[in-house]
Amino acid sequence: MRKGILFFILLLLLPIAVAFQDLLPAIPPFQARILLLPVVFCFGVMALPLVPSLFFALATALVQGLVLLQIQSGQAELGLTVPVVFFLVWAIVLQMASEATHGMRWEVHALGSAVVTLTLLGVEFVVLCVRRGGFPLEMTVLLRIVIPSVASLLVAPLLYLMLRKMVPVFIEGAQLPPKPNFSR
Amino acid sequence: MKKIQIASLFVFAVLAIAVCLLESGTLTWLQSGLLGVISPISRSGSVVKSSIGTLGKDLLSLDQLQAEYERVLAENRKLRAENNGLRDLQQDNDHLRQVLGYRERSSFRLVPALVLGHDAGVWWSTIKINRGSADGIAPDMPVITDKGLVGKISAVSGNISEVLLITDENCKVAAKVEGTKEQGISAGSRDPVGELRLTFLSKLADLQPGQKVYTAGVSGGIFPSGIALGMVKSFHARELDGEAILEPSADLGTLEEVFIVTGAK
Repeated sequence: MRKGILFFILLLLLPIAVAFQDLLPAIPPFQARILLLPVVFCFGVMALPLVPSLFFALATALVQGLVLLQIQSGQAELGLTVPVVFFLVWAIVLQMASEATHGMRWEVHALGSAVVTLTLLGVEFVVLCVRRGGFPLEMTVLLRIVIPSVASLLVAPLLYLMLRKMVPVFIEGAQLPPKPNFSR
Repeated sequence: MKKIQIASLFVFAVLAIAVCLLESGTLTWLQSGLLGVISPISRSGSVVKSSIGTLGKDLLSLDQLQAEYERVLAENRKLRAENNGLRDLQQDNDHLRQVLGYRERSSFRLVPALVLGHDAGVWWSTIKINRGSADGIAPDMPVITDKGLVGKISAVSGNISEVLLITDENCKVAAKVEGTKEQGISAGSRDPVGELRLTFLSKLADLQPGQKVYTAGVSGGIFPSGIALGMVKSFHARELDGEAILEPSADLGTLEEVFIVTGAK
């Protein structure tokens, strides 16, 4: 029940994250953007059990795909297959990371958010290059991938603290690391 | 693994495949729905953002306000005088157009809109505006400012729309260069520097920095003729054609208000 409530709160957070990231100003001088969706995604897949986290990854892929949807000559330029595969792979990887660290940790969440943002922008760029032709891998392009990733790394702990307060049920349900036993 | 988990995974797999197989029509419909969902947040967030932005302006001293008032008053007089002159010119122009049998192309039906925010997509240049299908907005309608062309409507919901900016690689505009017979296709670039590339020009085109570029208004196109697009920054000949780099006429980085061209008057 508690996990169910958490799942629906996280689902609501997806469109909210999209709306907020559009309102945030671009970072000069290359007008790089701050992406909140990957940060919320990382929190969700690490906080939820495996099966709900897969559904959450699918919902994130749907939102991300629709946000970036551009119809060119009757065809979707990016489609939904790429985001679906991308977010499912990362959901499984982050679940494994969450288990390996005995529950959710803010450091893993921050690092995960940065890496997911970096790879998300990288994959989008490569797919666009394949679709449109050319591969203009210039310094401005690299910075527009790296700066949002660093921004995600910095924003993630703030969002982690906010979500922990907003979603107290998660702390109770989390797998805490075993307490050290000093008795002989 | 429990039976319920296996069943959930099966449902998940079916859903994932179904999502991947969605067609562009369904995707457009879903995108419109998502725009509708985020519309209240975007609208209220935009109001808060603009309130914060104007906070500093409200704290001007009385001397600064007095100076600002006098400057605005003088500018108002100057603009009124210019406006009167332009009105005469417009009448002359309209008369000449009628005489020549040209269709009146410079008069559009415009719907004003506020910019809610620049989209966070890194490889696409889009903005959201506070007008949608409820205001008669439809996909592919041109969006302009008093300075020039901004882009075209790419997605529409009830009371919010997405505008694909001219600096996007996918927004192609037929354009002509002032004072020449040169015509080409303008588009943005993936390397997002905010410039336009006008291609398919003649290799021998003698373009000079500062020359103005306007929409060509080709038949079957979506952009009417004669809207300012940009200004030539540089020109170079390529293997098969010439390419000019343009500075957009409208300042796309600081857009606050735009107009959607819904048709001719």
